[in-house]
Amino acid sequence: MTTDTSTTTPAPAPAAARPGWWQGRSELLVAALVIALAAFLAFQTAAMHVPPGVESPGPRFFPTLVTVFMFGVGIALAVQVIRRPARPAAGAPAAEAAAQTTPGGDADADAAGAGAPAGAAPAPRTDWKTVSIVVGSIVVFILLLQPVGWIVSAALLFFGVSYAMGSRRTLFDIVLSLVFSSVIQLAFVAGLGLILPAGVFGGIF
Amino acid sequence: MDALNHLLTGFSHALTPENLLWALLGVLLGTAVGVLPGLGSSMAVALLLPITFQLDPTSAFIMLAAVYYGGLFGDSTAAILMNTPGQSSAIATTIEGYKMARRGRAPQALATAAIGAFIGAILSTSLVAFFSPAIIGLALRFGPAEYFALAVFAFIATSAVVSQSMVRGLVALGIGLSISLVGIDSLSGAERFTLGIPQLFEGFSIITITVALLAIGEVLHVAARAHTDDGHESMLRRSGTPWLSLADLRRTLPAWLRGTVFGVPFGVIPSGGSEIPTFLAFGTEKKLAERRARRGGRENEFGKGAIEGVAAPESAGSATAGTAMGALLGLGLPTSGTAAIMLAAFQQYGMQPGPLLFERNGDLVWALLASLFIASVMLLILNLPFAPLWARLLLIPKPYLYAGITVFSVLGVYAASSAMTDLWFMLLLGLVGFMMRRYDIPLAPVLIAVILGPVAESELRRALAVGQGDVTVLFGSAISVGLYAVLLLGGVIVAVNRIRARRRATATVPGSKAGAAS
Repeated sequence: MTTDTSTTTPAPAPAAARPGWWQGRSELLVAALVIALAAFLAFQTAAMHVPPGVESPGPRFFPTLVTVFMFGVGIALAVQVIRRPARPAAGAPAAEAAAQTTPGGDADADAAGAGAPAGAAPAPRTDWKTVSIVVGSIVVFILLLQPVGWIVSAALLFFGVSYAMGSRRTLFDIVLSLVFSSVIQLAFVAGLGLILPAGVFGGIF
Repeated sequence: MDALNHLLTGFSHALTPENLLWALLGVLLGTAVGVLPGLGSSMAVALLLPITFQLDPTSAFIMLAAVYYGGLFGDSTAAILMNTPGQSSAIATTIEGYKMARRGRAPQALATAAIGAFIGAILSTSLVAFFSPAIIGLALRFGPAEYFALAVFAFIATSAVVSQSMVRGLVALGIGLSISLVGIDSLSGAERFTLGIPQLFEGFSIITITVALLAIGEVLHVAARAHTDDGHESMLRRSGTPWLSLADLRRTLPAWLRGTVFGVPFGVIPSGGSEIPTFLAFGTEKKLAERRARRGGRENEFGKGAIEGVAAPESAGSATAGTAMGALLGLGLPTSGTAAIMLAAFQQYGMQPGPLLFERNGDLVWALLASLFIASVMLLILNLPFAPLWARLLLIPKPYLYAGITVFSVLGVYAASSAMTDLWFMLLLGLVGFMMRRYDIPLAPVLIAVILGPVAESELRRALAVGQGDVTVLFGSAISVGLYAVLLLGGVIVAVNRIRARRRATATVPGSKAGAAS
């Protein structure tokens, strides 16, 4: 497979108003996280309490292998990102697979155009505002589930996510959210016997 | 014909009204997630997992397998009508399928895709059913060293050889292995990486991991681009009947069969899905058409909507599903993300896929295999005349679709454990899944590592304990040496191809292909 065609990606010309060094290198954060995870594994493996009388290879053996492996790939990723930056924050995995060259060759262009909103267009920026509304909705759901119960908290979650994604029919959305969470409560609690916190509606079901 | 008898018994179990209902539910759901871009059968299976635990195992697996098959049937609908593949297995179909639709041959393209998916599924499922004794015979010769070799094979094949970027594939593998380490070590009882949190003593729940990575990660990924994406392309109108003319059939029949030939082996190779065989099948058809045209035969229609370009990838894609089920049931080897989640489902029911499964849970296995045939027939009926109806699913507004997925995710995670900590873990791992999507780190290696990691560890330690620390026991049999050799060979081929491609890329105008790659 002709992967890594990103080698041929023209490097951003230094002449143009040069964006910061971090441009296209934000993936270094991922590498840092991988190395941090490896460090965590190493520390915990060393500090692990091994029950006496365990025959070798013991519980530390495999984690040690994984730790070494994680350090290795973390460093390799960092090196790769530093050497070849300017990967546009990628679009759909579809684009990735599409870029897999067929033996025929020129099908790539078609496939990329078909599969990916990100193809030749500039990489879409991460919309942190939307992401944080979604994450916030999930956090609120987790905090409210026990005290308030499924119907209200799940309705809030549904409303929050659909609002974040751009739905603005407020009244309709509120009704839809409540209907959706109530239907789930009925179908799964009454029908399949799952246990959901009833919360403030405890007496009804 | 031992297998035939078993299969007939299987049919008698699968043809009960209840199991037929679960199969129907599964194919409906599978087709739906296949049609909708961004959702895949692996996400659907992950979200269904907690719910199916309320069912008896046979029904549960019939439904999960039907979802898997359904995804491969439904994925071509949006590909053909809207130039948007429903899952990555339909990218190859999109290329010629959409052009056929633009020429007014959408019904024929949809029919070709549905029949192709059917042929691939039926042929590969039959192969699995009738060769299962051979698969089991092979698997019975596996000891700890061989199972470890198989796990290493699956790890490296999915992450390094097959994925786009070797380093990112290996990062995914490492993340998966790290997740799988958490919990109390089953062999020694040592507490590992739990930070003293009691909820982690049994490790991360597989439901939390899969729902977080596949569903929450995808929701966040879509949210990050929700306001920058353009809307969908408008759907092409469908007109005419889906009948294939005799001339069409003469062209599609060999293409369907050739596609199946590509799909069958890739179901057994852990390649993380069916993109590769679909592209190989597509490329072959294209070359064949060029050669035919050169020899003065039929005109090469590739680029203008060639029907072979739809037929071959579709049968290749669904052929992988059949043999993937075979590898899963007979060897306990998950070859795609969806298969990995199904393996986890078996473990949750206390069953270990592999040769013993056929002995201990023979009824279940054969009912499952029989239901795969039934599901394929159902899918053909559901997809052949009704494909345009399925395409209406694309009218569901995106905000509601993803809001619904989020609610189902938290429902599944909470219902499976009734623990708030699992919801926090879900959010955390969902952010990891989002990060991985953003940087093109593949997800399939994570799932396979999470599920096969503990297997690999215990088999490795068992093998080394038997050999008393002698590493050569790992290479002590023809099977394990063979597996490592295949892996090495695959690595060499990939490396050679990459170097060649790099040379070709520098030889041609630099940047001409970069747009497609980046």
